[in-house]
Amino acid sequence: MTIEFRDVHASYDATIPILRGVDFTVNDGEFVAFVGTNGAGKSTTMRLVNGLLKPDAGEVLIDGIPTTQLKTSELARRVGFLFQNPDSQICCNTVRDELLFGFRALKMDMDHAERRVDEIVAEFGFNPDDDPFLLNRGTRQLLALASIVVLETPVIVLDEPTTGLDFRECVKVLGLIRRLHEQGTTVVMVCHDMEVVADFAERVIVMHDGLVVDQGPTFEVLRNRRTLEAANLVPPQIVDISLGLSIMQPGLADTLIGSANTLNEMEAAVASAVGKGDHVTARPTYAPTAPGAEDAAGIVAPATTPAMFEGGAR
Amino acid sequence: MNGFLEYVPGTSLLHRMNPVAKLLFAVLFAITCFCTGNLVFLCAMLVFALALAASCGMMKQTFGLMKAVFVFSLILAILLIFTTPTGDRLIDLPWGYIGTGSILAAVTTIVRLEAAAIPLFLTFYVTKMSDLSNSVVKVLHVPYKYAFTFSSTVHFIPVFMNDMKGIMEAQTARGVEFDVGGIVNKIRLMVPLCVPLLVSSVRKTNSAAIAAEVRGFNLRTRDSGYKQYPFAAFDVAAMVLAVLLLAAAICITVFL
Amino acid sequence: MIEIKNFTFTYRESAEPVVQDINLTIPAGSFVGITGAAGSGKSTLTYAMNGIIPHCYPGDFYGSVMVDGLDTCETGLTDLSQIVGSVCQDIDSQIVTSIVEDEMLYGLENFGVSHREISARVDEALADMGIADLRDRVIASLSGGQKQKLAIASILALKPKVLVLDEPTAELDPASSLQVFQLLARYARDHGTTVVVVEQKIALLSQFADMLVIVDNGRIRFADTPANVLAHSEELLEIGVNCPRSTTLMNRLAFDGIYNGPVCRNVEDACDALIEVLGHSAADNQMASLTEDEVIA
Repeated sequence: MTIEFRDVHASYDATIPILRGVDFTVNDGEFVAFVGTNGAGKSTTMRLVNGLLKPDAGEVLIDGIPTTQLKTSELARRVGFLFQNPDSQICCNTVRDELLFGFRALKMDMDHAERRVDEIVAEFGFNPDDDPFLLNRGTRQLLALASIVVLETPVIVLDEPTTGLDFRECVKVLGLIRRLHEQGTTVVMVCHDMEVVADFAERVIVMHDGLVVDQGPTFEVLRNRRTLEAANLVPPQIVDISLGLSIMQPGLADTLIGSANTLNEMEAAVASAVGKGDHVTARPTYAPTAPGAEDAAGIVAPATTPAMFEGGAR
Repeated sequence: MNGFLEYVPGTSLLHRMNPVAKLLFAVLFAITCFCTGNLVFLCAMLVFALALAASCGMMKQTFGLMKAVFVFSLILAILLIFTTPTGDRLIDLPWGYIGTGSILAAVTTIVRLEAAAIPLFLTFYVTKMSDLSNSVVKVLHVPYKYAFTFSSTVHFIPVFMNDMKGIMEAQTARGVEFDVGGIVNKIRLMVPLCVPLLVSSVRKTNSAAIAAEVRGFNLRTRDSGYKQYPFAAFDVAAMVLAVLLLAAAICITVFL
Repeated sequence: MIEIKNFTFTYRESAEPVVQDINLTIPAGSFVGITGAAGSGKSTLTYAMNGIIPHCYPGDFYGSVMVDGLDTCETGLTDLSQIVGSVCQDIDSQIVTSIVEDEMLYGLENFGVSHREISARVDEALADMGIADLRDRVIASLSGGQKQKLAIASILALKPKVLVLDEPTAELDPASSLQVFQLLARYARDHGTTVVVVEQKIALLSQFADMLVIVDNGRIRFADTPANVLAHSEELLEIGVNCPRSTTLMNRLAFDGIYNGPVCRNVEDACDALIEVLGHSAADNQMASLTEDEVIA
């Protein structure tokens, strides 16, 4: 399912413009991250996607249909939305009821709902009879995510899914999001953590002051230091090192070091530059993921894709 | 995007007036409205109140308030119509009748409530809550604890409204249709959402108490306040005007 | 400035102690970062330092916590709070007034700061946090990040000897987070303020803190300079603490036998170290080719 913004202007009380002509398209099945400083207009953009806010001018199209023509429930069937604060979402007395909530609200087939909830409970490792209010912050965030995932919407929007989570919880939440994406869900995420963006997104859209200032494949955007700086952002650390080294020693710019984007690429590039390349890649400890990370996630990533979350420098 | 009783910044005369003077004026104004049943006088008071609102650019808020007061006073007015059989008989009722007097009483009530309410609410719109509580502590010697309780209650209203908005949005995103089926449906859907709101508000008020304490709540005395609230000539004039209005109302009631 | 000895605390409603056998000495004027997984007891540790434990949360308290020579159990919360300024996690509940300026004045007035000095302090703290233009705004209309800056500014204005902050940058973007840390470091340096900050953003902690404290399951696992702590990247990962990537990169290269210098804490360290590594190897290669040439000759 595609999301399309056509010259969108939006504001909260018509006096202070928040978005000043935003254009972009998110294609079916993509994983797109929005980056920008506080107040750049990212959250407003997300609220436009799920119709909580309607544009003052321009069009927001979900699967080709303007959000203004869709009812709340029709939008909710298409777009799942994870809010920053799980406390505003969770409102039932048991985990099970919380997961069923969306099905009830959308008046969907309850037999199917029960089956889906059973699947999700097993997948996330919840106890269906727990009281959500007694769970810790990270688990509540997971529950909030699960109650969206359970509805199998073709689009999922995440507003800073990692805020307030520790590293393990962060890995767990993002591992699940990655899997959804691999199953074909279109994922749109707002994220301050550039390491997370670098690890997960396929495409990045940079917002600044209510406008889209750059967009493109993740590392093309993240290596564009000048636009990032203009938007008051810093590239992820490995990219930063790669760019830094290329400035300190211009000769490196055209080498593997000058184009390394990830921890693995950089390690291999440096190793081969000092003539120890073979030595390093043969090493068994050269696992892309730290041993604790996958255990913490509690889920086994599909064999085809190595768990890529290299551990964010947060 | 201003909430209920939320300060609207400005530089009008009313904004600059002494908070205590504003409060006393508003209270006296309200008392005046209740001292007389003279419709002409009450209408004059209402016009005066509206002029005050206009003088500080608060017409939008005032109309919103008037609408709310109107709904409330309408209920009272309807009760009055059916229960005060005075004046020329218009419609017969099993227990009496509706007369011209009944209608006059109803209209009077509406005008009186509107006129009395406007300056009171206006006071909150043109005065910072902290100025109000500080000056009440300084000038009227109200114990700080009470002033703080009141001001923090008001302070939390927008916080909770914001929480409620967040909760409703989160549920809307999950397909709850607050926008379909009118007010009854909306309330029915909102009731279960009060649980998370209650949980978060209990937690918030607890930590707010701690936060106030670690910033020296217990050390505060009447002299702590940084700002001074002297009475200016205009404040005195306003007090005199309020007393004169009250006297006029009493005179009208007694002598007419 | 802060001395915690054999401290164990159990909240009344739970059976297990949330922190155990804590021993920690924080010298005056130091910048201490505390991190650890969720539920490891980081926040409880800050409550012990600012006196909220034992004064507001009941429970079993063993050991002693001394702040500026005062025993937190014997000193009232009001007296303690004149030494320790705290910024708590939930910003909405920390704010007690409705207008930015009043929020700034609140603590200053209560602690009896002379009225002549107040205005300058408010100006300075607001300017430091970069929110001078918000002075007359209604707090309810501010964004999360702006509120967070205000909460920090209102405590900075009090100029406490000790600052205790629980995740002060949670709502802030990277640029503002960096700004907050730079400012805290400046207060530690210029005013001799002791800064204790709980934070998940380890890259910032490792760059600015003099001491990094890693809490795991209610106990202190490491309390040392960031470089010494970050050297244990594998163990850290096991307890759910992640190193900055620049550190991980250089630790891996060290493991590969390519790099043997000190632990890198940030991108600048790593760049300098890598230039050296690559420079050496370039020199080595040159030497190698030279000898080959000589052999041929």
